[in-house]
Amino acid sequence: MRAPLYELGAFGNTAALFVAVLIGVAFGWCLERAGMGSARKLAGQFYFTDLTVFKVMFSAIVTAMLGAFWLGRIGWLDLSRVYVPETFAVPQLVGGLVFGVGFVVGGLCPGTSCVAAATGRGDGMMLVAGMFSGAIASGLGFRTLEPLYSSTPLGTLTLPQALHLPYGVVVALVVLVALGGFRGAEWIESRVNARAS
Amino acid sequence: MTADDTRRVIVWLGIGAIVLATGAAIAGDPYLGKKGTIDVDVLARTVTQEDDHVTAVELAGWIRERRAHVRVIDVRSEKEFDEYHIPTAERIPLGSLTSARFAPTETIVLYSEGGAHAAQGWVFLRALGHQRVFFLRGGLNEWLEEVMSPTVGTRPSHADSVTSALSKYFGGTPQLGERAPATVARLRRRGC
Repeated sequence: MRAPLYELGAFGNTAALFVAVLIGVAFGWCLERAGMGSARKLAGQFYFTDLTVFKVMFSAIVTAMLGAFWLGRIGWLDLSRVYVPETFAVPQLVGGLVFGVGFVVGGLCPGTSCVAAATGRGDGMMLVAGMFSGAIASGLGFRTLEPLYSSTPLGTLTLPQALHLPYGVVVALVVLVALGGFRGAEWIESRVNARAS
Repeated sequence: MTADDTRRVIVWLGIGAIVLATGAAIAGDPYLGKKGTIDVDVLARTVTQEDDHVTAVELAGWIRERRAHVRVIDVRSEKEFDEYHIPTAERIPLGSLTSARFAPTETIVLYSEGGAHAAQGWVFLRALGHQRVFFLRGGLNEWLEEVMSPTVGTRPSHADSVTSALSKYFGGTPQLGERAPATVARLRRRGC
């Protein structure tokens, strides 16, 4: 069987939605088990006392990247059929800034706010309400936002293309950076927590 | 699980990641799709010199004389192929053409119903580096018109006799009648 399963017609729209719900539930469950539903834990990221978010997210990136590379290499995954979102430099920088400010102010990001809301936390529910309100407001004001939204388009840009390096070399470099990052995160956590105690 | 066990698992996961990452660096491209390159000047010159296609009569001649290493490829659907196809043709749909194997010594002739799809296939194969590729300019329509039911003059010339013989070889039925002027016939054939 070849992937992407939906793209290659292994299942239809209804089955795809059902699978999406299952994957979403599994993702939420894993986030909750990793303690990502707690704003207090996530806020530790910004004080360098708990870098779990960094470690979990970078682990996910490395796992998915190695999986996608090797599944593609052995012929089980057609990477050319995997959708790569287009890059729009300025609007994505602005969006990232808004995201970062929201993360610091609210203590949760979009995914973890859903996890927090699902576990009955009030802050998570408020953040989810704010997120949907913001999405609706952006939709209603889209005509005003559109010039920014569609500015500085760079097309579908991937790291190998941007760095002019072979795909596998970029994979190896990202894994090395991640492992170095994990080691560095542990060192920072131990230093900061030792100083606090 | 103790803290030591957890640390041991993490170390082994890290070692696994390093092994897979090192392998990735030397494993090559993970994309399945074939990447071709097109020298547009060469392709444009080939098209201008009309070295990109064959006529139905030329192809019929190649098949009849059993020219070596010629592969006639029908890019139409299975249903259309089963209804009728040019003798000796094999079916390879356009989507599978780039993954088909062709020897460098083979001469590939592509055809479709009209000619557009075969011409697109010609670009694909040229982009993949195949040099001896042609398409049937007027497609199967030209084959049916020029080979299977060609119009020969009521007072047959030598050329008409050759055409009739070729048609009969493939089970065709030459039609007696007024042949279209050469210019009209050529323009009609190009209408794909």
